[in-house]
Amino acid sequence: MPDKSSGLVQGTLDMLILRTLALEPMHGYGIALRIEQISRGVFRVNPGSLFPAFRRLERQGWIKPEWRPTENNRRAKYYLLTERGRKQLKAETAEWGRQIAAITRIMEIVD
Amino acid sequence: MSVLRNLTSGLRTLFHKEEVEQEMDEELRGFLDAAMKEKMRSGMNHAEALRAARVEMGSVDAVKEEIRTSVWESTLETLWQDVRYGLRQLKRNPGFTAVAVITLALGIGATTAIFTVVNAVLLRPLPYPHPEELVYVQKNLPPPYGINPYAGNREFAAWRNQSRTLMPVAVYMYTWFDLTGGGEPERITCGLATASFFALLGVRPALGRTFLPQEDRPGGPPVAILSYALWKRRFGSDPSVVGRGVNLDDKTYTVVGVLPATFVIPDQYKIDYALWVPLAESETGAGPFRIVRVIGRLKPGIALRTAQSELDTIFQAILRGRAKMSIVLSPWQEQITEKFRLSLFLFLGAVSFLLFIACVNVANLLLSRAATRQKEIAVRLTVGAGRRRIVRQLLTESLLLALLGGILGLALAHWGKDLLVAFISPNLPALEPIGLDYRVLGFSLALAMVTGIAFGLVPALHASGVSLNEVLKEAGRSGAEFRSGMLLRNLLTICETALAMALLVGGGLLFKSFLRVRGIDTGFKSSHILSLTIDLTLSKYPTAKDQARFFQQVLKGIKNIGGVQSVGGSGCPPLGGRTNSQSELAVEGRSEKIPLTFVAKVSPDYFRTMRIPLIWGRYFGEGDREGSPSVAMVNESFARRNFPGEICVGRKVESWVRKNDWLTIVGVVGDVRSWMDREPDPEIYLPYLQAAEPYMTFLVHNRKPKTL
Repeated sequence: MPDKSSGLVQGTLDMLILRTLALEPMHGYGIALRIEQISRGVFRVNPGSLFPAFRRLERQGWIKPEWRPTENNRRAKYYLLTERGRKQLKAETAEWGRQIAAITRIMEIVD
Repeated sequence: MSVLRNLTSGLRTLFHKEEVEQEMDEELRGFLDAAMKEKMRSGMNHAEALRAARVEMGSVDAVKEEIRTSVWESTLETLWQDVRYGLRQLKRNPGFTAVAVITLALGIGATTAIFTVVNAVLLRPLPYPHPEELVYVQKNLPPPYGINPYAGNREFAAWRNQSRTLMPVAVYMYTWFDLTGGGEPERITCGLATASFFALLGVRPALGRTFLPQEDRPGGPPVAILSYALWKRRFGSDPSVVGRGVNLDDKTYTVVGVLPATFVIPDQYKIDYALWVPLAESETGAGPFRIVRVIGRLKPGIALRTAQSELDTIFQAILRGRAKMSIVLSPWQEQITEKFRLSLFLFLGAVSFLLFIACVNVANLLLSRAATRQKEIAVRLTVGAGRRRIVRQLLTESLLLALLGGILGLALAHWGKDLLVAFISPNLPALEPIGLDYRVLGFSLALAMVTGIAFGLVPALHASGVSLNEVLKEAGRSGAEFRSGMLLRNLLTICETALAMALLVGGGLLFKSFLRVRGIDTGFKSSHILSLTIDLTLSKYPTAKDQARFFQQVLKGIKNIGGVQSVGGSGCPPLGGRTNSQSELAVEGRSEKIPLTFVAKVSPDYFRTMRIPLIWGRYFGEGDREGSPSVAMVNESFARRNFPGEICVGRKVESWVRKNDWLTIVGVVGDVRSWMDREPDPEIYLPYLQAAEPYMTFLVHNRKPKTL
């Protein structure tokens, strides 16, 4: 994932995280791994972008952190999608669909 | 909701820093472990997996930094860091800090002090309920007279009866009474007010009540309201004073109330009213003409202009085209502060020049100092601080300086304010004590901030634009070329000099004007003149004849004192504080009346004593007395304005005391200036023997300056 200065890119990352968490709660690395795997390597999120994104989503009330114990007596921070997060995901998905359709239309005009 | 969450989360980070840091470490370590596990699953051994995972993650500190700066509390933290660093820097250079702070304090302090006055006079609303509704009625006389702050009782009565836009309409005026009984007789200034006056201002008496409408009419019961000061001084704060009688001009008035100590009329006249009696103006305004000050309260929802045209319409109906005047209505506060506005703003402007000079001065200092911090800044840039960060930090230092200067300046303003007020308060309207209120504090805080940015920004930008290469190359060499900002500093010095010059020139010009005013020809010679004013009590000298006779004796007596060269008397001497004027003076053979003329009753030798030159005709003589043909003298301005190109000696004007009595103008004298900033007013003089008043000022020209 390129730098996070582009607004669109940052928003997209947030949406991807929310989508990933819609399936099941996960910890940081799990989310990064899932995104990389499902996008077939197109998107590789580095922690420098990932963790600030977690903070953001947390502050917005869309995801909720939860410490869960792991083997070797440590604990890992898992994130859950909240109800509001679910609503937000739905809204963003719809918007994303709209944008994609629009871009596609424009790209198909130019010949 | 997210705002609250953001806030609480941020606060937790600030106050439980250790905990939050630990959690972050834990999470990142967990990330690393999970990455390692994944890599080992795909075939790497432990060491390879560890290295791969570490590379993937990058620098842990960098990640932590990213996380930290993504939230708002980090800005607060860096700000706090900057402040602490700035304070350390300032402490390390006490000399520089002291100079800068004192310079700023002087600039900010002076500006704040003037603003305190501006605030009290122009910005603070009048101390009455709904002060924005209070309006003041003035007359607009044809040029060159201009706006006159007095109206006549006739039009006041009409407005009181007919106005639908002002509720209520009230009058306040002043007069003098002799207060006797219960102490030394004293002559007091007393206020005349309509019953509506106190209601209009929303004043509640400390004792008793204010006037009732039935007391405020001709023939009504004589009642009075005491001022707090008089009550304390003369009646010993006696709580049972209500109902007692007080003797004014040998007539007993019943006290019905006492005003609170805080009652003061904040106008530009600053008269200290010892007590108040009803104006007692008739319903119709018939009866002797007197001038009054009319104020009113706009009915809610009524615009100023609407009220003004209503009053004007009523007024024109009374005038019936006899004179060209109109009505001007203004908000009372505006009317009071009108005269002071220009000079106060000039003052403020001048003092902000001073502040500007201080800013430029300190900016220059900062620039010089920045030159010595080159290395420090270069190193910080190298380590990775962005230019913005450096600018922010330098700006924080400047703001700190400005704040310190502001606090010191505020203290200076507070201590010096009494001095300032004492110096200029004769030129200000009567006010509640001028002091620091929240508006002034807000102003000086804002001023300090703006000042800080003003003088700090340019040096900060300049200093942070260091080229790393150059500076690091110079490491080792001492005092060689560096980014000296010579040009910029020279520019600032030029700026400062220019501003200082402007201030000096401005000050010089003002001073020159002041000297010129002093040197203006007043029209009379006041050297070797002593004055004595006598006010007669009406009870002892009820008629004009009695008064005239008394003054005649006084004049004769003074003349006989050795050393007296001549003595003259005038009811309204120049610069004597008393003026009488007459509007609508009828001239024989003309339909239009003269709108405004000032009147003085004088003795025959008055002009000679004051060395006012005779331009035409003759002076009054002993022959101009009761029973002789009525005469008058006028001054040059009167002749020029009303009889341009003609000879006015021999013309007649109508007496306003006795109708159908025509005064012949027998002489024209030179102008006498009553005001320094205006053209002399037209004046008409009457011999006191023909038109006496119960007061006169005697002007004695003595040969030997000491013995009298």
